[in-house]
Amino acid sequence: MLHDTTHITDRPVILSLAGLSKTFGTLKAVDDISLSIPEGEFLTIVGPSGSGKSTLVRILAGLEAPTSGDLFLRDTQITQSPANKRPTAMVFQSLALFDHRTVGQNIEFAMKMKGVPAADRRNRALELLQLVRLPEDYYSRPVTQCSGGERQRVALARAFASDPEILFFDEPLSAIDYRLRKTLEVELKELHQRTGRTFVYITHSLEEAMVMSDRIAIMQSGRIVQTGTPAEIYSAPVNRFVASFMGEVNILTLEKDTGGKQVFSEIGQPVQAARGAYAMIRPEALELGPGEITTQLTVTQRLMLGSRTQVHLVSELGATLISELPGTAPELDIGTTHPFSFSTEDIAWMDE
Amino acid sequence: MTRGPHTSALQALWIVLILGFLYIPIVSVVLASMANTRYMRFPHKVWSLDAYRDAIASFTTWQIHSISFWIALFVVILAVVLGTLGAVAFARYDWRGRGVFQRLLVLPIFFPQPVLGLALLLSLNAVGLAPSWKTAIFAHLVWIVPIVTLVISIRFFGYDPAQEEAARDLGANRWQVIREVTLPALWPGIFSGALFAFLLSWSNLPLSIYTSGPDTPLPVWLFSRTATNYSPLVPSVAVIGTLISALLVLSLALILLAAKRVRARRP
Ligand SMILES: Nc1ncnc2c1ncn2[C@@H]1O[C@H](COP(=O)(O)OP(=O)(O)OP(=O)(O)O)[C@@H](O)[C@H]1O
Ligand SMILES: [Mg+2]
Repeated sequence: MLHDTTHITDRPVILSLAGLSKTFGTLKAVDDISLSIPEGEFLTIVGPSGSGKSTLVRILAGLEAPTSGDLFLRDTQITQSPANKRPTAMVFQSLALFDHRTVGQNIEFAMKMKGVPAADRRNRALELLQLVRLPEDYYSRPVTQCSGGERQRVALARAFASDPEILFFDEPLSAIDYRLRKTLEVELKELHQRTGRTFVYITHSLEEAMVMSDRIAIMQSGRIVQTGTPAEIYSAPVNRFVASFMGEVNILTLEKDTGGKQVFSEIGQPVQAARGAYAMIRPEALELGPGEITTQLTVTQRLMLGSRTQVHLVSELGATLISELPGTAPELDIGTTHPFSFSTEDIAWMDE
Repeated sequence: MTRGPHTSALQALWIVLILGFLYIPIVSVVLASMANTRYMRFPHKVWSLDAYRDAIASFTTWQIHSISFWIALFVVILAVVLGTLGAVAFARYDWRGRGVFQRLLVLPIFFPQPVLGLALLLSLNAVGLAPSWKTAIFAHLVWIVPIVTLVISIRFFGYDPAQEEAARDLGANRWQVIREVTLPALWPGIFSGALFAFLLSWSNLPLSIYTSGPDTPLPVWLFSRTATNYSPLVPSVAVIGTLISALLVLSLALILLAAKRVRARRP
């Protein structure tokens, strides 16, 4: 991680969510969410499509009223205060740039609403162009003549121009190609460190969340199921939903065999001192060769991942597993069977 | 695609034909206005501008123009206001019954206008209103507001409503959102809507005939004087009317252009 997160949790809380809910008809889009966001934190809310991320962030920005619950900015209750009265700014999924205006006019909008004189607005807009790495002569260019990445930067500069204490991002990078997205992720992270503002970022990509955040909150059907640093979530997901959301992992189910012993039902191997109903084993923890818990697996697929090799395996009981090995693993031809093993230390236990 | 000389010659011919088709009737009205016969007939031998002198000297000429002008002016203002509000309800917001509203709204456009005019006259009688230029405004609105609403609604296609939320998020109050985001997006539609409203009202015959009562707008006068009591005065008034409406539309466009220039210079 780029910086030490323990400092952040010591900082005063800037935004607290107390039991926020939002229902649309019978649908609970946001379901009783409580969360404290410390000043200067980069918090990412991750969840699959339809889990209520946008609805939640719109409530935080004041664009949607919660059905119940409260919202506090420091110690002030702001549940009912409208978007234009909150010291926050949002970067929208569609960016929502003002199409009939220039880059400069877009950036200056918030200052114009505050009645800042034109000359000061212009100076600040030029500073902001620099902050988001756009050339100065973009100032008078119509936004309709900007590329996707440039529009992204304009939206960012426009949000910063209102000098917000908290910035909200609703999947602003989802429509951008992979390489540019990677660049912008890093830039956003740097911008966060340089400006020291509180960022609340929404995405459906845990990978994106891992790269940028101090803390991640994982959302599933309107609820936050886990919060933690990227490292915490990586090593100890609370349930199978979170574990599988992180990408390709092996999840094994515990059951009692006829003798009352605990066994993994996918591979038929016994395990002592189980601490949950499910076990997550990362692909890199499933090693070639015998070990603490060993099982015979047959190779069905072999994929080169640069310096490592990923093999798809099938157990004698028909379950598929994945292993990642260093190097090219030349002996693992498709169709061959080998002993694979993992140790109980590498298991992340989950109850559901 | 390559274009030989033949293609471009054909293209030129095509354009000339279309323009001819459009302008020959207008030219013939101008020619007819310079005759001194009692019948609309070609070719005529005596050329004179007497008809214009008479037309300009006659009180009726000014009266019919001013009636048409006032009707059109009120129709433009009311149709733009109602059409803008209608377009917002029609295209911008999703609400229960919107589909029904959309269908009901466009229905009057498909009514044959003479039928609509007659129906309106009957309803005016039923509520005890005497037909006059004011009731003609109402009649025009029934037909023109749906058209203006449709014209303005088109602007909402490809419009990202999140722009309004962004503006609000950046500190704009409700009124500022309308002024800074919604209206600028609608502006070209409002302008074309106003233009349509003016021209449709200025040249409307079938609705005015039934609903304007003793006040005679230009098209009604032209129609009745062509049917009975024709003289070169009729085409000359028609020419004057065309010139006036062209001038009005042109000056409106110039005013708007100037306003845009001034706004653009002020950042
Ligand atoms: N205005 C609304 N009226 C009715 N239902 C809504 C409304 N807004 C959102 N919903 C519903 O609430 C649920 C959560 O929607 P939301 O947009 O918050 O999800 P999301 O996590 O942002 O999804 P995505 O990743 O696709 O953007 C969805 O089932 C959606 O259909
Ligand atoms: Mg969303």
